[in-house]
Amino acid sequence: MIESKRHRRLIANIATYTVLVSLSAFCIGPMVWMFLTSLKYEADIVTQTMQYIPSRITFDNYVAIWTQSGFPLLIGNSLVVTLLTVTICVVTGTLAAYAFSRFAFRGRDRLMLGYLVVRMFPAVMVIIPLYVVMRGVGLVDSRFGLALAYTSFLLPLFVWMLKGFFDSAPRELESAARIDGSTRLGAMVRIVVPLARNGLVASSVFIAIAAWNEFLFALMLTTGQGSRTWPVGLQLMVGEFQLPWAFWPPAASSASSRSSFSSLSSNEPWFRG
Amino acid sequence: MTSSASRYLPFRALGELSETRYWMYLLLLPSLVLILLVIAYPTLYGMAISFREMRLTRPGLDGWVGFKHYAAMWSDPVFWIALKNTVVWVTAAVVLELALGLLTATALNRDLPGTKIFAVLILLPYFLPNVVAGHMWALMLDPRLGVINDILVRMGVLQSYKAWFADPNAALAATILVEAWHGFPFFALLLLAGLKSIPEDLYKAAAVDGAGVAAQLRLITLPMLKTVIAAAVILRVISLVNSPDLLLILTGGGPGDATQVLSLYAFQTAYKEFNFGYASALSVVMFVILMIFAVAYIRMSRITKE
Amino acid sequence: MATLSIKDVRKSYGSVQVLHGVDIELEDGGFLVLLGPSGCGKSTLLNMIAGLDDTSGGDILIGGRSVVDLAPKDRNIAMVFQSYALYPTMSVARNIGFGLEMRGVGADKRKRAVEDAARLLQISHLLDRRPANLSGGQRQRVAMGRAIVRDPELFLFDEPLSNLDAKLRVEMRTEIKRLHERLGTSIVYVTHDQIEAMTLGTKVAVMKGGHIQQLADPRTVYERPANMFVASFIGSPAMNFLPGRLVRDANGVRFEASGVSIAMLAGKPAEISERPVILGMRPEELKVAARDQASVTGVIDVVEPTGPETMVTVQVGDRSVMARVPPRFAGQRNEAIFLAVDPASVNLFDPDTEQRIDI
Repeated sequence: MIESKRHRRLIANIATYTVLVSLSAFCIGPMVWMFLTSLKYEADIVTQTMQYIPSRITFDNYVAIWTQSGFPLLIGNSLVVTLLTVTICVVTGTLAAYAFSRFAFRGRDRLMLGYLVVRMFPAVMVIIPLYVVMRGVGLVDSRFGLALAYTSFLLPLFVWMLKGFFDSAPRELESAARIDGSTRLGAMVRIVVPLARNGLVASSVFIAIAAWNEFLFALMLTTGQGSRTWPVGLQLMVGEFQLPWAFWPPAASSASSRSSFSSLSSNEPWFRG
Repeated sequence: MTSSASRYLPFRALGELSETRYWMYLLLLPSLVLILLVIAYPTLYGMAISFREMRLTRPGLDGWVGFKHYAAMWSDPVFWIALKNTVVWVTAAVVLELALGLLTATALNRDLPGTKIFAVLILLPYFLPNVVAGHMWALMLDPRLGVINDILVRMGVLQSYKAWFADPNAALAATILVEAWHGFPFFALLLLAGLKSIPEDLYKAAAVDGAGVAAQLRLITLPMLKTVIAAAVILRVISLVNSPDLLLILTGGGPGDATQVLSLYAFQTAYKEFNFGYASALSVVMFVILMIFAVAYIRMSRITKE
Repeated sequence: MATLSIKDVRKSYGSVQVLHGVDIELEDGGFLVLLGPSGCGKSTLLNMIAGLDDTSGGDILIGGRSVVDLAPKDRNIAMVFQSYALYPTMSVARNIGFGLEMRGVGADKRKRAVEDAARLLQISHLLDRRPANLSGGQRQRVAMGRAIVRDPELFLFDEPLSNLDAKLRVEMRTEIKRLHERLGTSIVYVTHDQIEAMTLGTKVAVMKGGHIQQLADPRTVYERPANMFVASFIGSPAMNFLPGRLVRDANGVRFEASGVSIAMLAGKPAEISERPVILGMRPEELKVAARDQASVTGVIDVVEPTGPETMVTVQVGDRSVMARVPPRFAGQRNEAIFLAVDPASVNLFDPDTEQRIDI
């Protein structure tokens, strides 16, 4: 009996590892292939017999993408847009999250639900009129305009995430500070926000990565070099350069950090993204 | 730090304001204004556009046209193809992702040594931007350079290299595969959280009562996961119907209209033809269909729960 | 130090009224305990005194000054919370001095005040630590230090001992009493623990459903409860209730029930009529007696020795009565037992209104 039970467990363990290993291979295989390809010479990519392990290694692809395609400009634009998005969300979203967390007022739950429902709107349904509106006020092809557009779906998310962190900071601390001589604003700035610091950072990173990777809004709302972000640049490059082999670093770095973050912190509402 | 409040007059005035009953509305105001400005107003405006003629390429054409666009949609064969493709594409992708996700979550939930590393690796695709995921697979499925063709030929599955995105059926299947690769970690993570929330005692009790592995799965795991699965499916369906990114990159709707879906059709109508009126009407119809589906689905999954 | 006047204070959330016109006067240096089950409105009342909740009506005066329109910071009060609410990012010293810091007191003066308070509470050796590194009792002392250092007009305590274990709770209770006697500052103290109310209060307000049931000194609340709710809420084990009748006979007025006959009053006061009543007797007022002196006769059901005393559950008619008897009580289950009770110690309640009847 014991013998057969141990036997069964061994089989189950082997099956589990088989599943995990093959799924992991399925998941990272394409990324590994991309990486290997990016190290090959053009001639070794376009060959009759497929080279699985590069016979020679070169960094020419990386040099080329950096020097010939205006990539630094694209990355710069992405950085600016991301920074603007995070700034707008942090300034307005922190206040709203605090209000939702601390005050009971009529219609609060409905308003919070409204913030969530807004995220269900199809992107195309928002993009088209947003383009018309922004063209009217001269915000098309502007980094600020794009950041503003991003807040349409990132601000609600930020508010919901941060509210959870504010909720876990005890209310009594705030009451104590107010009795000790702080105003509500003082208690919020001195006591509550420092306590929710980690949550503030986590929520900001979350929306920063989303803004960094966004494609559809950027494609529609940017037309020139001045505001184009890297995902759009990449898409356009594919036509010019055939395939830009070395495009993966800005994406892979953010993806891998997100991935490790999510699997390590279990209660993060990443799935709303 | 000591008395920054008293040193800066504006801050102090704001502090006094924070003790009034208007404070919470002041806190909400900035975000509310922003959301009304960038979502509520454009959405309403978009609905209005769908009843108007608006082509940015021909500024002279303007004015209300009533239900003209909706009538045009009814007799537009591409709309019906896109609708059918949306249903096929979303259904197939969600089913595939759910199955892979369930398998992954069950394996990860056994908590064998090294599970954390596998979890990180398996999650990677989900956080890869659509553009990158799309081009990566475009490279691997390339008719001349694609490594997948090479592997399949070596394995003897294919006689020669295949142009995956040139054959209508193969194109749809290939995009479903890419989407499944990109999206199944979403299900894996959600289902894993669901599995972890099932109390260990339930399994112990079932084992004591003599239930085998199959009975445990049927009687405990699946019923307890039902809500999580229902929630994951609806979230994923909404997100898939709404985002044309991956198809835009992989096929652009082709060959012909073989991989054309509603969101992509609407986007291209606006982005390529600048026919904003028709594009808005398309997206409104898509939104309405999606909402009807969502409400019906939520009703149904509640009934089955009880 | 100041008086506290609560005048017809009301509170409602939407259409739900949680406080119905509360009136309390507390003398300078007094110790008011707000006592009641959860949801009775005692914490709401405390929060309104603190200014953390708005009043829906009525007035609150501290030292004769109306405070309802003042922010908490302007009320010159200090508060000790159930969770202690120590600022986790600050040292113990800064926690204690935070109120002075907010009021712009200079660093030197602040340091002296903090050290004095710490000495009084015997936490001088903890001043450099963070709250996370303190035990429950130490946190409690820091929270009290933060309150006393400001020398406010009024202290507010919100169930301060309920997070401590039984032994520490007794110790800190004594500490609070000592502190009150030493500082002489008026205190409002919220609790659901009747022993804290009895030991600490100079005045106890028993609350239920947003109403004050009785406001009196602890002795009166215990011995002469205003109604059956107060009678049953205070005292453990609870007061025994026996339904019966007041009857008049040749010797005077008696309470009669199955197995019970108590001579209440000699003579025949004309104003007392025969009527149904409920008799309330504290367990310790029931004494084992000889058969001919007994006013309560019953059968022993359960005997529970606790050490210093023994609790006996007695079946009297169809009712259970609990008696607190000396430790070496020798009775057995199913034996008959005879109990005497001092008529002056019992209370009578109206069966309909549940209010106390004075005779």
